[in-house]
Amino acid sequence: MSASATAEHPADAHANDGKFHIFVELAMILAVITGAELLVIYVPFPNSLVITILMALSAIKFMAVIFIFMHLKWDKPFCTILFFIGLILGGGTLGALLLIHGAKDSQPVGPAYEEQV
Amino acid sequence: MSSHAATAGPIDHHHDATTTTGIPHKKLFMWAFLASDCMFFGSLIATHLVYRLHPPVGSPDPRDIFSIELTSGSTFILLMSSLLMALAVNAIQKGNVQTTRRMLLGTIVFGLIFLGGQVYEFNHFVHVGGLTLANSVFGTTFYTLTGTHGTHVAIGVLWLVLMYIRSFKPADESNGQSWILKGSAHFLAFVGVVVVGMYTLLALIHAFEEGHGLGYYFSHHFISFGITLALLAVLVAFARQRTPVDFGEANAIDVESMGLYWHFVDIVWIIIFPVVYLLEYIVLP
Repeated sequence: MSASATAEHPADAHANDGKFHIFVELAMILAVITGAELLVIYVPFPNSLVITILMALSAIKFMAVIFIFMHLKWDKPFCTILFFIGLILGGGTLGALLLIHGAKDSQPVGPAYEEQV
Repeated sequence: MSSHAATAGPIDHHHDATTTTGIPHKKLFMWAFLASDCMFFGSLIATHLVYRLHPPVGSPDPRDIFSIELTSGSTFILLMSSLLMALAVNAIQKGNVQTTRRMLLGTIVFGLIFLGGQVYEFNHFVHVGGLTLANSVFGTTFYTLTGTHGTHVAIGVLWLVLMYIRSFKPADESNGQSWILKGSAHFLAFVGVVVVGMYTLLALIHAFEEGHGLGYYFSHHFISFGITLALLAVLVAFARQRTPVDFGEANAIDVESMGLYWHFVDIVWIIIFPVVYLLEYIVLP
């Protein structure tokens, strides 16, 4: 198809395009969530609550981007399964490493860590 | 065979009956690659966090170094670039080449702003904060993680530029050699604008930071400023071509695959921003 073929598309083609509005609205929502992430670190909540809120907001942004911007919502489920295999392995590695190194016996020792041990 | 170009009639951009999975091969490959990249970034983020949670004595305090305003701005820019990328894919799926080009250009510009911000940030960290790749474990893991992400952004920008230039391939294939030469010139003009333009812009910021005026800036950087303008004029001349092109709805899968990569870069930053930057302000030792 050539560029000249675009003449078949009216200038206001986007006006009738549902996805266009979905994308723009989603971007606005994501910008607001990013602002909320920034604000929440200045609110005097307990640390555990702030961490939970930050992780929840990040997860919402992450899922919104992969399912809508990246079209997983409209693609075959196999794409979702394939990506989540990598995501779970990557997230699992992250979680496992944090747990292993968070255990008391795994705390680093030596002169460089004397003040903390 | 997964090429939609070989199919007749309206194109279903989410399914491809000619492949065994029903998914276009290029899209399937990209999802598999992104899944592997999840594991790569998962390991890098874990490494940063493990060392950050157990910092050796004398480690720098990131709160003294980070600029949350600059990083938040970069996050917003990357988010908006994701929107433009989604709109580029949407436009090419309708065969709207002009809109696709505009959205690709917007994505390129936003990607470059993000990279410029990262160059400025790294420069600030090294020269003002004293944080280098080698002088602390924090510096090593921080630069490795954010630098790897920045490299992904740079590769994405390069891919976007190549796709933008590809959209000008003439429909008349009888003059293929001429297209290669013209495409190469187009690419070189783009690279020139990016390299010289970024140097010029950073020099401008530096001049203002040092308290010098525009007079000082132009007396020292007039040539680079002029070259940037001249190369921009060349790019505008290339963009004004109106000959029929061999680029349209059938190439949507190429743009979409590139878009998947670009959105992935964004979602990695969605994780890095709170984990590496925001958490510093509340809990980390």
